Parts: sequence; structure tokens; C-alpha cells
Amino acid sequence: MRCPAYGVFTVTPSDLRPDPIIEIENLGHSYDDTPVLHGIDLTVQQGEIFGFLGHNGAGKTTTIHVLTTLITPTSGTARVCGFDVVGQRLHVQRNLGYLPENVRLYDSLTAAENLRFFAKLSGVEDVPAAIDDALGFLDARELADRRVGTFSKGMRQRIGIAQAILHKPRVLFLDEPTSGLDPMGVRQLRETILRLNADLGITIFMNTHLLSEVSRVCTTIGVLAEGVLIYNDSLAATLQRFPDEASLEDIYVRLEDR
Amino acid sequence: MSATVAIARQHVQSLARRQTFVLMLAVLLLMTAVSGFIGWSSHSTIIRVYDETVRTLKAAGKPAPPNPFATKPHLSLLNNMIIYVPLIGALLAIVIGHLSVMDDRHAGVTRVIFSRPVERSSYFWGKVSGSAAAIAVIMAACLALSVIAVSLINSSIPTASEFLRLTLFYALSGTYLLIFMLIGVVTALLLRSQSMALLAAVAVWVLVTFATPQLTSGLRPVASLNPVTDPVAVSHSPFFKATSKAKPISVNDQYKALSTRILTEGSSAKPANSAAKLAPIVVLGLLLGGWASLLVKRHDFSEEAARD
Repeated sequence: MRCPAYGVFTVTPSDLRPDPIIEIENLGHSYDDTPVLHGIDLTVQQGEIFGFLGHNGAGKTTTIHVLTTLITPTSGTARVCGFDVVGQRLHVQRNLGYLPENVRLYDSLTAAENLRFFAKLSGVEDVPAAIDDALGFLDARELADRRVGTFSKGMRQRIGIAQAILHKPRVLFLDEPTSGLDPMGVRQLRETILRLNADLGITIFMNTHLLSEVSRVCTTIGVLAEGVLIYNDSLAATLQRFPDEASLEDIYVRLEDR
Repeated sequence: MSATVAIARQHVQSLARRQTFVLMLAVLLLMTAVSGFIGWSSHSTIIRVYDETVRTLKAAGKPAPPNPFATKPHLSLLNNMIIYVPLIGALLAIVIGHLSVMDDRHAGVTRVIFSRPVERSSYFWGKVSGSAAAIAVIMAACLALSVIAVSLINSSIPTASEFLRLTLFYALSGTYLLIFMLIGVVTALLLRSQSMALLAAVAVWVLVTFATPQLTSGLRPVASLNPVTDPVAVSHSPFFKATSKAKPISVNDQYKALSTRILTEGSSAKPANSAAKLAPIVVLGLLLGGWASLLVKRHDFSEEAARD
């Protein structure tokens, strides 16, 4: 199926095989002598929107840093798109997009100049077309020639996502993407995430605190507490498993208390 | 290769839009022009005094001394540049090196960059080549201004030999400034706070530009600034006798001596002696480059954005 806005052949949900796109086995990481991840085992299937929950300091961002090859784990293994994050770093990087929390990009450059830079780094061949496709997909073409320094948080977020999908990755890592966004921005982001997943077939791995968004967007959730993965299942199964709880927030609190 | 070029290009593009950089560049270019003006001013004053003296002597029937500028090389009028480059130029180079790393960390984009298929060596060479290109452009602009100044002073364009020597002087100056650019890179990688990193780089600049030349010349007060050869022996205390031995490795001393040789002595300089003076500058540049490369290789770029 061809996505008209993005101009590429995309994957429909029926095409998606239940292949693991992220496989984590006994993953551990320590900063100096302080352990932050304790032997995590986790699998995310292709086509999922995975919500990674946990309080501040639980190890969510560290997990994303390992999966995006920014840091080397102290123990265990992790594979993204079948490639090892340590031994096959460049293969992993070619297949992932990453939007860190509070990314500001280069304020002095325009959106198009920022995107051109990241497209070159990602090895995109037809850079102008890739920029136009990404901006078109995010309804952000009017921002192309404006300096990022003049943007609102929501505009920055759209350009940030554009840089993350320029090279048409298979999996997109979003670290607290709703941080600092106003309600309208959160709503736009939610729609964008759903379209990225549905229209382009991109698997989403998202760290977030916003449980209301998780319940509206995610297909699967994992809960991390003190560096330990204490829960991992589909959202539907989770809601069935805790019929007495009124909301995902209640379920989360109960899981944390456990 | 394309990642290196993209990083270098982005760095130059960002620099051109930074007020700090543009302001310091404007000051350096202004001082280059001022250097020419000072040269022209002193030249015309001395010529006026000389003409007046010749008239007086001729009226008294006495022989006139030769014109002091007749034997002095034209380029020696630009001697002040030998002071401005280590002062303003070095600070500008520190800003270039500092921003090359700190801009990325402050913007929080290093995490995005290293999530892309980019080798750390490509990042390092991109930053260094971008900074070197910026310094080369600045030196070319200074060269153009100096050529204009020399042309105006002498009412004729510089000869091929003079142009070559001017080019050599700015090539040497560019090489010297690379040291300070790398100091800016190293301190930005070592320290997380922007202000502390800049302060540390400036402290090293003070050490190289003022403290070391003072020590290696026995605390002669003008030695740290003026490009003059030793008019007097160093102080006789054992301490200064010991520190004066370090003069061959004082890059500021070597830069000033080499520059003076290029601008005022020209072809009479001995190449072997010049190479010996250039060696400490090149060696220090290579050592700093190696250190910066190692720091980039080992740096944890997953950290949060740099503090202000």
C-alpha cells in the first residue's frame, strides 16, 4: 500500500507478522558503581505501540539509550530489528529513529537546514524529497524556512519527529514525547503517533508518564520500577486482568505498590 | 565521509549565525585594519619628521642621514598583527572550538547525532575541519585587509614576494590559532558547564599568552606582548635561569619570533631555524588534537543537555 502523504510503500496491519523487533535479554546497566537496570527481559513485536511506564529514575531513559546505541550495557543483550546493539551498532542505527526528551535542535538553523543535516547523517540519498515527505506527513511544510529558535514547543516536536522519520526507520523511540506540550500539542502528537504506526508501519517504543495517553495510544505496556521490569502485557489483557480498577492510573499504582 | 562534511558544514553555518562569533570576528577584522592604519600613521609621521630634519640639515649645510624606511621591509608596518592574533584571534579560536561541542550539547542534539550511523571519528573530524575552515576564512579576510593596507601605505600593490610572505604569516597564524580552537574543544568536552568550560579555556590562553612568555624571558615586562628579540639577558635568579630554558617550547614566543622573521626579515631567515621554531606549535597542536579525539571517542554523549 502506498501512503499518499509520505510517498512510500507502507505496511498495513495485515502485513505485519508477529516478529520481535526489539529483544532484550537479561539487560543490566550501571553508572559507575550504581546499578540502574537489573536483568530486564522484554520483547516488543513489530507494529506495536509500546508504552514504557515508570516513575522518574526507574531506568526508562537508560533502556532507550541502550536500545539507541548511545550507551553500552554492562550486562545482557539487546537486539533491534534483529541486530545486536553493541556488535552491529550501525545496522541498528540505520533502522531506528529517536526523539529524546526536550530536544531543541539547532535554534540558529531553519527547520529545513536542521532536517538536511540529520538526513545527511542518516545517509538519505534524495535529501530534498525526504524532507518534503516528512514535513508533508506532519503537516509542517510551512515551517521549513523558519528558524527553529522561533518555534513553540509543539512546532519543535513536529520537526523533531520529522528528523526521526526522515530515513524511514522501522522502529521509533520517543522519550517522554508529551513533556512540556499543551493539551492541543498532546492531542496532535497522539494523532501523529497513531498515523506513524498505522500508515507507515513504524513500531513505536515510547517512554511516558502520561497514562491517559498510554491508554489511548499504546497496544502494549511495560512497567519498570527501580530498574526491574515488573509488568509487561498488551493493554487489552491488562485491562481484563484488573477489572476492579477504574483506570490505567489505578492499575499502574497497584502494580507499583506490588 | 559525507557525515564528516555534513557536520563541518553545520558547524560553519551555525557559527556564522552566532552573535558572539560575529562580534569577535568583527573586532579582529577591525584590529587588522587598525594595524594597517597604525603602520601607515607611524610611517607618515616618521617620513614627515625625516623630511623636516633633512630640510633643516640642508639649510645648515650638513649631510642628511638616509631615510629610515628606505631599508625597512614594507610588511614590518603590519607588526601589530603579531600582537593582535595571539590576543583577539586566539580568543576567537577558543570560541569556535568551544561552540563546536557546546552548541550540540546545549541543544541536546548529540544524543540524536549518535543515534544515527555516525562514527565518533567522523564527528571529531567534522568539528575540527569545520572549525579549521572557519579559521582559514578569517585568516583569508585578514590577509585581504592586510594587502589593502600595505597597498595604501606604499601606494603600490605588494610584490609577489611580499604577498607570499603575508600569506605565509597568515598560514602560520591559522596554525597557531588551531591550538586555541582545540583548547576550546578539550575544555568543552571535559567540563559540563558552559561558563566553566569557557573560563578554563581562557585560563589556558592566559597561561600560554602571558604567563609562559613572562617566565621564559625572565619577567621582562614587554616580552609577553612585543615581538622583539631579547635586548637584555634574563634575570639572574636561579628560578628565571631555569624557566628561561623552557623558551624553545613556549609556543607564543615561537609564534612571535617566526612572525617577526616572516614580516621583517623575509628571505634572510634560515629555514632550519624556522622549522625548529615551528615544531613546538605543530607538536602542541597534534597533542591537543589527539587528546580531543580521545575525549570524543570516550565521551558519554547520552548525558543531558549542558548547563548554562
